[in-house]
Amino acid sequence: MSVESLLLLPALGCYAGAGASAWAATGPRGPAPERATALLLAAGLLLHTASLAARWQAMGHGPFTTMYEILSSNVWSLTLVFAIVWARVREARAAALIVLPVILLLAAWLLAADAAPGHFPPTYFTPLLYVHALLGKIYLGLLLAAVGVSALVWLRRSRWGAQRLAGLPPDAALDELAHRFAAFAFVFDSLMLIAGAVWAQDAWGRYWAWDPLETWAFLSWLALASALHARASMRVPARAHALLLAAAFVLAFLTFFGVPFVSTSPHKGAV
Amino acid sequence: MHESALMRRLLVRCASTRLTVALLVLLAAGVIGGYAHEPIAAVGVTFPLALLTLNLAAAAAIRPVFRSQAPLLVAHLALAALVLLAGFGRLSALQARAELTQGLAFDGQLLDVQAGPLHRPRLQQAAFTNEGFEIEYAPGLKRGRTRNAVRWTDAQGRVRRAVIGDHEPLVLAGYRFYTTPNKGYAPVFTWRTGAGDVQGAVHLPSYPVHRLRQARAWTLPDGTAVWVMLKTEETVIDPDKPAAFALPRDRDVVLRVGEERFELAPGDRIALPGGTLIYEGLRTWMGYRVYYDPTLPWLLAASVLATLALAVHFALKFRRQPWRSARPASDAPAGDAQGRPVAVWP
Repeated sequence: MSVESLLLLPALGCYAGAGASAWAATGPRGPAPERATALLLAAGLLLHTASLAARWQAMGHGPFTTMYEILSSNVWSLTLVFAIVWARVREARAAALIVLPVILLLAAWLLAADAAPGHFPPTYFTPLLYVHALLGKIYLGLLLAAVGVSALVWLRRSRWGAQRLAGLPPDAALDELAHRFAAFAFVFDSLMLIAGAVWAQDAWGRYWAWDPLETWAFLSWLALASALHARASMRVPARAHALLLAAAFVLAFLTFFGVPFVSTSPHKGAV
Repeated sequence: MHESALMRRLLVRCASTRLTVALLVLLAAGVIGGYAHEPIAAVGVTFPLALLTLNLAAAAAIRPVFRSQAPLLVAHLALAALVLLAGFGRLSALQARAELTQGLAFDGQLLDVQAGPLHRPRLQQAAFTNEGFEIEYAPGLKRGRTRNAVRWTDAQGRVRRAVIGDHEPLVLAGYRFYTTPNKGYAPVFTWRTGAGDVQGAVHLPSYPVHRLRQARAWTLPDGTAVWVMLKTEETVIDPDKPAAFALPRDRDVVLRVGEERFELAPGDRIALPGGTLIYEGLRTWMGYRVYYDPTLPWLLAASVLATLALAVHFALKFRRQPWRSARPASDAPAGDAQGRPVAVWP
């Protein structure tokens, strides 16, 4: 077993533990599970960072070429963004009930993915790769946080949620918080598209060509823009806003993890 | 008076933020429609974008929120400018491809040209010479970096040289020349008649993707149809180990003229009824993507400005209340029991 795998497996275990303790933290057991969540998230991120660094050194390039690498780097970045949100905005901590299961789903997919090395295409030898990928990761992380917070509005409509999430701020406050995450997600989404267009102009001689990934990335951007506008102009109730954000996230998720690996466009990678 | 009231009502309708949402949905539908059925793509995208721009212009003219929140106004105006610039860019742009034999100068001949009606060709100012290229390959024939040496003469008459490839196009007179994966071998011939010599090259199919069919038909200046094939069976780029693009050691070609078959080594010649055909040798050719769009820097400026202005708008708006106690903004009706939010952004 490689060093990378030796570090990755306990990292994913920590994330699973964080998910379980976040679940317990919504109960009446006081602050202990919350501390456990914080420790497990931190430990998982440290181990995962070391795992990614080990692979980076072994491959000679960053985690950008295969589904395995992209899943691993996104599990890491989604967790990191949520850990920062968790640490900075107490009212958003309960979103772990939604966010961590999504991350664990990706982690399960990661375990099933082929870890074989990929080819680092000539178009990837540019700083724009790092700028584009970083902006995309912040965007998806913030959007997931927005979805997690807004989904609490729905979750506490259930009998289970009514008991466990009674101490949370009112729906309007959660909705406002989700809106803030979504607003900055939109800013980072826009910056990601701009960086991608500059990269595409340099690499392929056109800034936009409506290839499948560009088309779906634009639709994701439109979905988020529509959600922001609808909330502001149509007084969409919190629950409807949660659904709009969830739809935007589903589109973004499919764009990130589906389209690049099923299309045969230049965005597929090895060009 | 009645007319101005009517105009005002129309403007208010045009400036509706609900209309904005509807038009964003229409744009999404247009994009999906164009994705599924390409012929409707142009209308599917252009029509909603034009309506969105009108909607935005009307909103900027009459909605007080734009006057009180300058970053929001800047963001939206920059978005409108982006749409207009993209439209003008399409009308004045040129997209094409070109193929150039090693050692020869670009003479302005383009293939698969798509030019907007406002494009004014200036390709004569974009002459350059392809001085050959290097390409690395990883095992499995996976293409690595491309380095293409080019030479041109600048406006002051100085000879300039550069190496282009992958992320570095050659930019001459606003035209951007990008190397592409489309490249290969080019047997060079001289056609000698009493009127003089004419030299030309036949660009064989792209290598290595078409390595098993390195042949092509072409026509001599006197109209004689000729078919040429690179004879070598050598594995020039070893798929099992790191390698580089190179000319084969065996550079002989097979020629068919009518029913006759010839095998020529570099320097060999054959006499044909219209003249003498001399095989000068084998070179490479590079395929270029040619792109001209005068709006590129402005598009980048408008999109960055729109995004940064929006970021400033959100930062200022959210700064009024800490994230830890985020509540709907106090300058608007409070959220109701169902958690209806307040409108603080148009």
